Amino acid sequence: MKQKLLFQTPEIKYCSYRYQNIITKYEVIIDRSRCTECGLCVQTCPKYIGTARFDYEAFQKHEGYLRIINLNSQCKGLLCQKCVNKCPTKALSVRINPQYLALGDYRWTSDLILSIWKQAETGKLSNRYEYKIGSSGGGFDRLRFDFELKNKRVSNNQNDIEYIDTSISLNKSNDGRPRIIIPIPVYGADMSFGSVSLNTMLARAKAAQAWNIFTSTGEGGYPSELIKYKNHIITQIATGHFGVNAETIKRAKIVVLKYAQGAKPGLGGHLLADKVNSDVAKIRDVVPNISLFSPFPFHNVYSVEDHYRHVQLIKDINPEVLVSVKVSTPTDIDMVAIGCYYAGANIIQIDGAFGGTGAAPDIAKNNIAMPIEYAIPIVHNYLISEGVRDKITIMASGGIRTAYDVAKIIALGADGAVIGTSELIALGCKRCANCERGRGCPSGIATTDPILANYIDPEWGCQRIINMYSSWKKQWDYILTKLGLGSIKELLPKNKVEFKKGRFNHLIHLDHVR
Amino acid sequence: MTKTFKRYHIETKDAISKIKFPSKYKIIRYNNCLNVQECAQTCIFDVHEVDNNGKITDPFNDYCRGCHLCTFACPKGAISLGINPEFDKLGDSYYTPDRMKTIYVESETGRVPVSGTGYKGRFAGKGFDGMWFDFSEIVRPTRDGIHGREYISTSVDLGKKLPYLKFDYNRNLVSTLPVCIEIPIPIILDAPLFFKKNKNLLIALAKTALKLNTFSIIKAEDYNNNLIEYNSNLVPRIFYNKIEKFSYLIKQSRIVEIEYDNFDIKYLIDRIKKYNPSVLISIHLEYNRNICEKVDILTKSGINIIHLYNNEKNSTHNPDFITDSIFHVNSHLINKNIRDEITLITSGGIAEASHVPKSIILGADAVGIGLAYQIALGCKVCYGNKHRINCPINVEEEDIDLASQRIINLIGSWRDQLLEILGGMGLREVRRQRGEIGRAMFYKNLEKKIFGDNT
Repeated sequence: MKQKLLFQTPEIKYCSYRYQNIITKYEVIIDRSRCTECGLCVQTCPKYIGTARFDYEAFQKHEGYLRIINLNSQCKGLLCQKCVNKCPTKALSVRINPQYLALGDYRWTSDLILSIWKQAETGKLSNRYEYKIGSSGGGFDRLRFDFELKNKRVSNNQNDIEYIDTSISLNKSNDGRPRIIIPIPVYGADMSFGSVSLNTMLARAKAAQAWNIFTSTGEGGYPSELIKYKNHIITQIATGHFGVNAETIKRAKIVVLKYAQGAKPGLGGHLLADKVNSDVAKIRDVVPNISLFSPFPFHNVYSVEDHYRHVQLIKDINPEVLVSVKVSTPTDIDMVAIGCYYAGANIIQIDGAFGGTGAAPDIAKNNIAMPIEYAIPIVHNYLISEGVRDKITIMASGGIRTAYDVAKIIALGADGAVIGTSELIALGCKRCANCERGRGCPSGIATTDPILANYIDPEWGCQRIINMYSSWKKQWDYILTKLGLGSIKELLPKNKVEFKKGRFNHLIHLDHVR
Repeated sequence: MTKTFKRYHIETKDAISKIKFPSKYKIIRYNNCLNVQECAQTCIFDVHEVDNNGKITDPFNDYCRGCHLCTFACPKGAISLGINPEFDKLGDSYYTPDRMKTIYVESETGRVPVSGTGYKGRFAGKGFDGMWFDFSEIVRPTRDGIHGREYISTSVDLGKKLPYLKFDYNRNLVSTLPVCIEIPIPIILDAPLFFKKNKNLLIALAKTALKLNTFSIIKAEDYNNNLIEYNSNLVPRIFYNKIEKFSYLIKQSRIVEIEYDNFDIKYLIDRIKKYNPSVLISIHLEYNRNICEKVDILTKSGINIIHLYNNEKNSTHNPDFITDSIFHVNSHLINKNIRDEITLITSGGIAEASHVPKSIILGADAVGIGLAYQIALGCKVCYGNKHRINCPINVEEEDIDLASQRIINLIGSWRDQLLEILGGMGLREVRRQRGEIGRAMFYKNLEKKIFGDNT
């Protein structure tokens, strides 16, 4: 049975990375002393038969070794090894590219980064890279869906997978405000002008428009270039109140009140002086070249009653707006969540400890607040016991990297997820952590430098993000088909999250399963 | 006499060591480079430079921050970037290369490390890695956060504290106040480990202790005449049977530390108080499972400080050991109602800034750092010349000030990070953080609560 398409999905277009030589997983090295230059390897390699590209100019000399550059990263490495076996003098060997090992970290492994790049390029998955999990050894990386374990050779042929409803509603309460429905269970995270460049914001806004989802301004004001996309932009009100006024609140369909950010909870915001140039200063109403600190917390909110007044203030200014409250994860996150509900929030966005940031002290990033995998079940269970779970939307953020992470967090009790870093990776981010000072990001994403910012073309960036979400959409369809569910809303647990013998709601936790 | 109030402030300034730390990344430029200089144009960190003859120079690996862009930009694919093998070999599983690099940079600049993007490490781990701080949000808001107007105190007291004060009817104080020494930071310098006798290092340590107004522990055998002027901030560590020999040190010190042995404590205290009645006595005690009885006896007989230590090697193999030891002793003292009779200092395994507040949350009053400041001075954590290389910490006479400044920078940076944590929690005093287990979340508990079997 074919379901009716509820939403128009944007078109996938091939959109290559800016550079040709992206990192390859494997590389072939040649022992120069043994090589007779017979050329058999060139003929053997299935990817290069008949192409002029693989000439001897591509061989490189270093410390007695010749290296073949795998120009378009097609080498299958240890799985193929045909050239190694064919070589009459045994001069060839295949190894993992040291550059591949230098990329990435435990949370975002090189495979995850490369797979997102591939998805952003083609809109399709590549079997060559692990695209589901990282290697952090806990949380999402130890959770699996039961179908993943049943048959190990899961086919990735996604052509025969039917379209499944993945839409979620952002307003579940009957308060007379618009019922906004987004076709995929994600929207873009808050990134301010100043922490990222205007071109990056434009690219994200265009992609949000194409997918009919949202993206957020962050706390750095509302640049006038974004007004064109105002139906898809969330206005953020953070503790610094940079560039916030009644006009920007009236313009938005959703307003987010940021109490804390997962990467630096309890510390407020932080934009280092190097990145505060005249444009940023103008939109934030400050002096250029000084460090900007958002204080912590909101000085008009010291209790739940204050919080109620704060939410109502926004609702009074714009009677059509939905209010989202962004909080991080202390031990009493359940109390915070119920407080947000009674204050009248439509959405509660819970930002876990592993979220991204433009700049934060390392001690805060690593050590404060609990991971999102724990926070969401706690909140979900508490709201169910209070009987209000179906009246509020929970969005999870902070450490959600892949389509599988999104599906897992929904199975743990969130309605959807808010995606930040993955969108930036689609634009070419490598998580080198140089966003905070100097000219900022060398890739031109998290920078305010006018030259570097030009590296990102909004049209190009928009298409890359569209491609990534298209691939994610297919993965959700695939997961839901495998689980036999008719819509992503059915994945959300109806009851409390209770793992029994490591299993709950199609999820298996490998550390606790018996 | 009025005393003007002065905020405690650690003055940090750049201190660049002669011992270079290996760069994290290593760039190789292969021979098929055509001198297109695309890399020089792409790199914003000045790794690739063009010399006066218009030729590209060898890459400056120290500046590289691992953005990989030069390797992409090169039209011939002639550049490869990898983790420097020299960097990768450093340290061990506990003192990881990244941790050592952080300590090194902190001691060089004295600043709080700030960076972009999110957390990069493992989900959780053993020991300190399995702890997350709680912080206050809407329910328990701070007044001001870290950048506020109120002063956040990091002072701690060494010595016994009274549970309450007694006054007579004329409002005169009746209770006798015990000797109590206040230090402005909850960090003391432990005696250096694994190094050949180096008197300049000791002078640097003593200088640091004097400047920061904290204490530095020095073994009595290592004392020399140069240390006399710093006596007020030094703690001699003396063996039980050598008390008479080093009686001159007991006379001039405010605190003495005795290496634990199975001795008669009453007799020990008598012998020490004979030379200096106002001295505080600290016992250097290695942690093991059956420690509680000893701690009981020591506390009840009037010892002022227990300096609990974990063997550095032991803590490397099992990081759970450190957190367990502090928690174990602290909860025992609380159960026996004698927590304020004694000051608990812990050392061993304090490898990064977050370990200071974590130890305090688990129940220590203060922490002693040992290997951390040695890493700041160039130690490569080879555990006593395992690899038969000479210990690089050989502080020359002209480098004493530099070495001292590097330790000051390190502690200054750690104190600032402690303030960040206290600010985030809404605490105004580090004393109130002691033993506040509720201010932390534990991986084991959360994992069991959410994913474990509740039936």
